Amino acid sequence: MSMKDVYIVDGKRTPQAKSGLDLKDVQAPYLGAYLVKHLIDNTEIPTDMVDEVIFGNTGTPAKYPNVGRVIALEAGLDKKTSGYSVHRNCASGMEAVSQAYLKIASGRSDIIVAGGVESMSQMPLMYNKEMTELFAKLMKAKTIGEKLSAMSSFRPNYLTPIVAIEQGLTDPFCGLNMGQTAELLARELKITREMQDTYANNSHMKAVAATKEGRFKDEILPITIGGSLNKLLTEDVGPRGNSTVEGLGKMKPYFDKKSGTVTVGNSCPITDGGSALLFVSEDALKKYNLKPMAKLTDYHFHGLEPERMGMGPLLAMDGVMKRTGLGLADFDLFELNEAFAAQILAVSIGLKDKDVAAKFKVDRAWGELDWSKVNVNGGGIALGHPVGSTGSRLIVTLMHELRRRKGKYGLASLCIGGGQGGAVVIENLVR
Amino acid sequence: MTYKRTNLEIKDKIAYVGFGYKSTKSMTSLDIETMEELASIVEDIHTKSSELVGVIFFSHVPNCFLAGADINLISSLVTEAEAADKSEQGQNIYNRIEDLSIPTIACVDGVCLGGGLELSLACNIILASNSPKTSLGLPEVKLGIIPGFGGTYRLPRKIGLPNALDMILTGKTLRADKARKIGLVTEVFPSENLLSQAPKFFNKKESHHTLKESIKELATENFVTRKIIFQKVRESVLKKTNGFYQAPLKILDVMDTGMMKGRTSYLAGEAQAFGELAISEQSKNLQHIFFMSESVKKYSGAKSTKALPVLDRGAALGAGTMGGGIAWLMADVSMHPIMKDLTVEALNLGLKQSSQNFSGALKRKKISPDEFERRQRSITAQLDYSGFKKVDLVIEAVVENMDIKKKVFSETEKFVSRNCLLTSNTSSLSVEEMSKALEFPDRFAGLHFFNPVHLMPLVEIIVHSKVAPETVEALYKWVLRVKKTPVVVKDGPGFLVNRILMPYLNEAGFLLEEGVSVKDIDTAALNFGMPMGPCRLLDEVGIDVAVKVAKVMYEGLGERAHPSKFSSLLADKKFLGKKSAKGFYLYDEKGKVTGPNLEVEELLPSTKKKMSETDIQMRLFLPMINEAAAILKDGIVGKAEEVDLGLIFGIGFPPFRGGLLRYADSEGLDKILAALKNFSETVSSDRYKASTYLEDLVAQKMTFYEKAK
Repeated sequence: MSMKDVYIVDGKRTPQAKSGLDLKDVQAPYLGAYLVKHLIDNTEIPTDMVDEVIFGNTGTPAKYPNVGRVIALEAGLDKKTSGYSVHRNCASGMEAVSQAYLKIASGRSDIIVAGGVESMSQMPLMYNKEMTELFAKLMKAKTIGEKLSAMSSFRPNYLTPIVAIEQGLTDPFCGLNMGQTAELLARELKITREMQDTYANNSHMKAVAATKEGRFKDEILPITIGGSLNKLLTEDVGPRGNSTVEGLGKMKPYFDKKSGTVTVGNSCPITDGGSALLFVSEDALKKYNLKPMAKLTDYHFHGLEPERMGMGPLLAMDGVMKRTGLGLADFDLFELNEAFAAQILAVSIGLKDKDVAAKFKVDRAWGELDWSKVNVNGGGIALGHPVGSTGSRLIVTLMHELRRRKGKYGLASLCIGGGQGGAVVIENLVR
Repeated sequence: MTYKRTNLEIKDKIAYVGFGYKSTKSMTSLDIETMEELASIVEDIHTKSSELVGVIFFSHVPNCFLAGADINLISSLVTEAEAADKSEQGQNIYNRIEDLSIPTIACVDGVCLGGGLELSLACNIILASNSPKTSLGLPEVKLGIIPGFGGTYRLPRKIGLPNALDMILTGKTLRADKARKIGLVTEVFPSENLLSQAPKFFNKKESHHTLKESIKELATENFVTRKIIFQKVRESVLKKTNGFYQAPLKILDVMDTGMMKGRTSYLAGEAQAFGELAISEQSKNLQHIFFMSESVKKYSGAKSTKALPVLDRGAALGAGTMGGGIAWLMADVSMHPIMKDLTVEALNLGLKQSSQNFSGALKRKKISPDEFERRQRSITAQLDYSGFKKVDLVIEAVVENMDIKKKVFSETEKFVSRNCLLTSNTSSLSVEEMSKALEFPDRFAGLHFFNPVHLMPLVEIIVHSKVAPETVEALYKWVLRVKKTPVVVKDGPGFLVNRILMPYLNEAGFLLEEGVSVKDIDTAALNFGMPMGPCRLLDEVGIDVAVKVAKVMYEGLGERAHPSKFSSLLADKKFLGKKSAKGFYLYDEKGKVTGPNLEVEELLPSTKKKMSETDIQMRLFLPMINEAAAILKDGIVGKAEEVDLGLIFGIGFPPFRGGLLRYADSEGLDKILAALKNFSETVSSDRYKASTYLEDLVAQKMTFYEKAK
């Protein structure tokens, strides 16, 4: 089957804020709906001509089981617009993008908005198994005696909640927490604490400079916040201008408290945010007189052992480069998610070291990463990692920066909890 | 028997009485024919009652059970006896319904007001549909009358005295669920199931009261507490209406004195009160306003041959109090508005305004928290013109400066589609002049909202020489859609309302210069029925704004609009009114008056002048009438009722007076002219120079309403 070209007209993201801060009251659909509305309003595409709205989300709020459809409606799109949600952990936003790509490339759809949203602030505390069973017994109880007997089985520890977010960040297969998988890579590849802290500090410096110089202005769409929804948030809340390597060095390891190197400071924080991109076919470009910013060249997802999930980008990049015939030197820009400093450093080692690559069944060394082209405006450590959104957020940032630099190819990649990696290649069309 | 308006059908031993039989109208009302037919149907049922299990009243017309008595019928009443007789006739029919030996049920789907609800009350049980159109109430008080078909007798017996007083004295309407909560309605069903469910209620006994209800009943249904309730309610009515309105007090009299009476003697009192009120001048004035507001709902201007532009999406330029209010209004009717300004700080102010308005609705439970979030978030606050291509209606509310506004319009025009309407919320600048900035002035007009947007019902649509008829008509319909009252006016200084308001505010300044006190002036205006005295109103408007507007008026109208120096004196002292917490009065953080600003005293002449209240009132209102005459002469509006509607809905001119020109007509224009002439000799020959329009009317022995129809 011959594939058609897939264009990106525009992409926007929310400012990102550490969970519990400025975006804590914004429910997941509202992190995406206004972006979709803006993307469509800014074109001549009528609101009833969008084929589909696809959003990545991992928290799946109880109130919004299908957040993608809710976003389509809240964005003011016609009620006939199909909408759904996808889940591929940290790459959910990228999964949404890949589905948009396939649907347009295959000629099935012409106009799709894809992205991701995550309100990690609003992830719930849940009753544990014992308490849930007690409730079930109470519901079944008919007589007062039965009710009393059910209630008498109560013990105080029944009220110990299950923290959804904590459970979500622990791999169900290997039992390791995400941070512990980063510790494993740091140990095996000898990535020191200082290397990690230096990397993390750089991320903050780059993000602070980018904000200061207004480099995020094109990609961030201000969002209405506050308990009474009466003010705008225009910038990311997270990057710290006063960060130092020394300061980061003073933090205690979090995941291996005795001998570890991974700290909260050299990991990405838990964050709220959303992102969205407008994808169209060539027919739609012509029909609605649209000027595309970029072309989505291809994508690739790949699995690996869950306990080394941080190495996912190595396999995904290997896959997408082989698919496209491009090499590291062909890319003017990379957006690689910084789940952990140790993790992204591990990926760079895997790219250049043939033996390390071989351990992950990658049959060649791709070469040295040119760090001056990687995460030039900072990454997840400073900006945060709203899990469902990051996969598409990376592409939004990549696209805008590539345009600013008048570059050609850009690559976005990230590791995926559960042991996968995802990568997307785009080509800038505004040169 | 052939039925015309109301039919009786007997099925399965149930008598179905249907209103709006073969009706083509959207509303059913109790006109003479309906009443006559109803009377004979009820008698018919009496004779057949032994073969029947029950009676069900319903309506054939969707969304309307009975909208009440035909108001044309009420307005045609001339004598007290005639009116009381009409009331008695209705009471008798409803008594016969109440006296039926078989169970009766009213199935209310849609509007059920006034005589409609009174009929339902005469039934044993009221069932209602959960349709959003269903509303129940006794709005008679709003027309200056008392419910005359036994409503004040039966409602307290159904829902208790406190709830009944609340409904009758405010005239408010209830949705079905609320009506069920207070016991007015027994059960609520989906519209489609209402009639099929009704027969199950024939044998149902009224449910036993809960303990809470019984205690409440014990507390309210005894002689002493009832007396206390009446006294308290009377006090609060007097406070709310300043004693200007007769109807609520009369209603209280009837209900209070009728407390211990039986049905016959109570209803005689109700009918007599109805007779007195229905023919009173006050009620006629309120009916006049009702008719005016009804007629305004139909667009009577030049019809367009082209299709009207569809106004689905909106944008507000400028995010101040007005811009935020306009964005709120658009968001409230799902227009997903854009609100644009130059800085994030300004946008935050606008968001604050709309949030406040929505919060008010949330607190009053008019909207749910989800709706609050959805509507407030539907406002896109932004700094650029992105998305303007999709906008159908732009309302500009930037600073009141011609050059800036012109620049904004010529800039905006580059970003919108050809079909987009562009409007200015200017309160004083020439719309004709502004239209020159546009490449396509046919899509442009003035759209003047009053502050605060969410409370003030009037919107002036200001036309100019190049405006297209479809623009005006589309704007007119849009204003109705956002539940405001439109009035189309020609361009001119201050348009309609502010131009007539000008002498009210200006003359206060001259009175102050003459030595009359702030208190005396404002009190005189309040005692006339105005919601605010001129000094207090100046504080509300902003004294600097008033100075600016006065200048525009003076430039446009000449010496009769010569501004008093007084406002500038205050403005120089930075006493700008409510916004600076200091004007004629002092204000706290919430904007409440805390007392007079004693520093103003220093600006007043040292010799005080005591003027009678009537003289102060004449000084304030005569030049307003005179200016209204000039407005009719200039053709700013064509009809006297447009002037009156504008002032009632624009500045709260006392409704019980029926409007400024109706008031003038009732006083006698010859008297008005003579008083003007007197002031032109004793006070100012410029400001009190009678308009030739008024002089002509007097010469022709005509009233404003006869001349400007």
